[in-house]
Amino acid sequence: MASIRIEEKSQENFVFSSRAKTTTLVLMGVGLICLIASYFVDGGEGHHMRFWTNLLHNSVFFLGIAALAGFALAAFTTAYAGWFVQFKRVWESFASFLLPGLFLMGILIVGLFLHSHHIYHWNDEAAVAGDEILTHKSSFLNKFWYAGGTILFVGIWYFLLGKMRNISIAEDLDDQDTEFSYYRSYKKYAAIFLPIFGFTSAALMWQWIMSIDSHWYSTMFAWYATASLFVAMTALTIMLLIYLKSRGYFLGVNAEHFHDLGKYLFAISIFWTYLWFSQYMLIWYANVGEETIYFRERQDNYAVLFWANLAINFLLPFFILMRNDTKRKMGTLFFASAFVFLGHWLDYFQMIKPGARLTLIELEEHTTTHDGEGEHATMEHTDEAHAADTEDDVNAEELVSEDDEVPAEEKYADATDVEEIDNLRTEGQNVNSAGLPVPTDPNNPRLQVGAQTVSDSNDVPLTTEFRGGPPEGEGIDGPREFAAIMERNETDVFEPNHYIQEQYVDDSELEMVGHLEAAGGHSEEDHTLGFKSGYTLPGLLEIGTFLGFLGGFLFFTLGQLTKARLEPRHDPYLEESLHHHT
Amino acid sequence: MATIRIEPTIGDPATGTDKEEYARATNRDIFFGLYDDEVKLLDAVRAANEDHLAIDDVYTPFPVHGLDPLLGLEESRLHVAGFVFGSIGCLFGFGFMTWVFTRDWPIIFGGKPYWSVPAFIPITFELTVLFASVGMVTVFYIINGLGPGAEPRRLHDRITDDKFCIAFDVTESSDSEIDRLRQYFNRTGVETVHRKLVAA
Repeated sequence: MASIRIEEKSQENFVFSSRAKTTTLVLMGVGLICLIASYFVDGGEGHHMRFWTNLLHNSVFFLGIAALAGFALAAFTTAYAGWFVQFKRVWESFASFLLPGLFLMGILIVGLFLHSHHIYHWNDEAAVAGDEILTHKSSFLNKFWYAGGTILFVGIWYFLLGKMRNISIAEDLDDQDTEFSYYRSYKKYAAIFLPIFGFTSAALMWQWIMSIDSHWYSTMFAWYATASLFVAMTALTIMLLIYLKSRGYFLGVNAEHFHDLGKYLFAISIFWTYLWFSQYMLIWYANVGEETIYFRERQDNYAVLFWANLAINFLLPFFILMRNDTKRKMGTLFFASAFVFLGHWLDYFQMIKPGARLTLIELEEHTTTHDGEGEHATMEHTDEAHAADTEDDVNAEELVSEDDEVPAEEKYADATDVEEIDNLRTEGQNVNSAGLPVPTDPNNPRLQVGAQTVSDSNDVPLTTEFRGGPPEGEGIDGPREFAAIMERNETDVFEPNHYIQEQYVDDSELEMVGHLEAAGGHSEEDHTLGFKSGYTLPGLLEIGTFLGFLGGFLFFTLGQLTKARLEPRHDPYLEESLHHHT
Repeated sequence: MATIRIEPTIGDPATGTDKEEYARATNRDIFFGLYDDEVKLLDAVRAANEDHLAIDDVYTPFPVHGLDPLLGLEESRLHVAGFVFGSIGCLFGFGFMTWVFTRDWPIIFGGKPYWSVPAFIPITFELTVLFASVGMVTVFYIINGLGPGAEPRRLHDRITDDKFCIAFDVTESSDSEIDRLRQYFNRTGVETVHRKLVAA
């Protein structure tokens, strides 16, 4: 390592070659064309959802990478780490991208105030007024919080990280300083940045991304999204360093440093998976309708995206980077980094697009059905209109008219929310196989519905009696016989669980039906959404836009890199970094 | 000047053959020097490599960075054992739960299906870690002849405390070769030099 440095001196200052400039500018041009094209491609919808979501997706992604580079600097400095010092200028330049990132978010904020985009359901006053959940959340999910939070918080990050960069450059130019005074104040700003970033980044992640599915919430989300950015940032750092090294810069950065960066890529990928899984499992376990809908939507309609996300961001780095030598070889490390970088871009795609698409569908249904109904301003009723085409609902509609003879208030004396029962009827739950209305228990209509359906379906035993294990009676003794019987009468004797499952889902649907519909959930039949380029999977326009933003990010950061010596020669930890050994 | 002393022979045979002869036939004659600093040790190992002296082994009280490449040691393959045991644990945990909850004793938890994959993941993870760690420790013990009841084999007690040792196998060396090693030890700043017969 040291010997290489003597033989072949690393270049002191970065020169932004005209070739690199041209490449990044061409990429930016491609991106701009794609972004503009996406504005007009779905112009027929009148909402330009594809354009706005692409803008949001890439702005948040690259702004987040900038912020996480600053986080890495601050965290490592606070932890007295020295190994990264040689290439800390790269992270400083990354962090400077916060300013262009803030500008990009500014476009979205302006769009929010002018109502030019409908990414956020909570920005629709009519929808919020008729929606209890959104009304409840409106103290946080409103455009003033969004705008103020974004500008203030990103502004604070930029101020603190900008201070750190200025101190670091000043330290470089001052040959007289023997007290490490620059380093001390650098450390102070790093320590101030960390707690502020910890809280504000979470709030912004909720605002920027999680609120697209405005009814949904997850306490894990901010961490999950931030971990995703950390991996993407590490991957981009690795790729850029390998490139810069091949151009004769950062020759002191050797396999040892890449080994450590590779470890970060590996470890944070697993941390990301941990958060992904924790979020998924808690929601799966609790099975609360308004939470589950988020994953159900993605698993049913975005299966490729959903599972590819896990495969690329967990399985691939896990198995490739598990070995020692793959982290030390530039080829495998670059390969893994490239995939993981794209993978986390896909992860953000997967966070943003499905929710935005539901909002888009609601908007379209809203505008098409609005003329006929007139008085309904909320989104809930658009689903009824949508479902009316299917056969089952003919039955249900008849039933509705039949029921209309008895006032609903009288029939469900105990029920407070008449609208909820309306929806229930539309689902056709309280009809038995003969198509007759089921006598309902006024004290608990839901239970009554469930029990009645059980007695309908060919002598299925009452599921509540089954407590697990081989069932008693009928001369069954032992698991072997149980298994044999299980195979014989699979459907009607020993798969009560299947039945319970359905019943359970029905129950929760009954309970949450109002919320589900409001959250964009549809009944079983019309739930499937077809393939739509730019939503189901990234289309060419998305990839072009991504390349454009990547080009812009690199153009800016490489430009920043030229402004200071690459090696922070007065950093107290430089020697440690040069002789770093894992 | 380093003190040089020859330690008495160990490895007493129970068979009644000639003591000296038996020891020569079954034991290895180890000539080793103790250093008091790992920097001196690393320099000495480098010097030995330059002089083409075949080091038998180096013993240190703690892992010394940069020693492995100097000794030409290949990377440990212990992690392969870790991967294999981890995979076994992973498959075992997942397979066992699958068998229990779908075949042997199906129980409904909270209306979830019998084969509730997300609920199995944490336990599968734990068993992966458990199998990998216990398996690696076991393999490590077997390879190195350690473990409960194993006779500790150490050249010198101070190696477990604060001394760094370079050992040469002089079982088949001539006196002149041993003299050459002695000069080498003195040149590289050794503290003490010892000679000991150890079980092969």
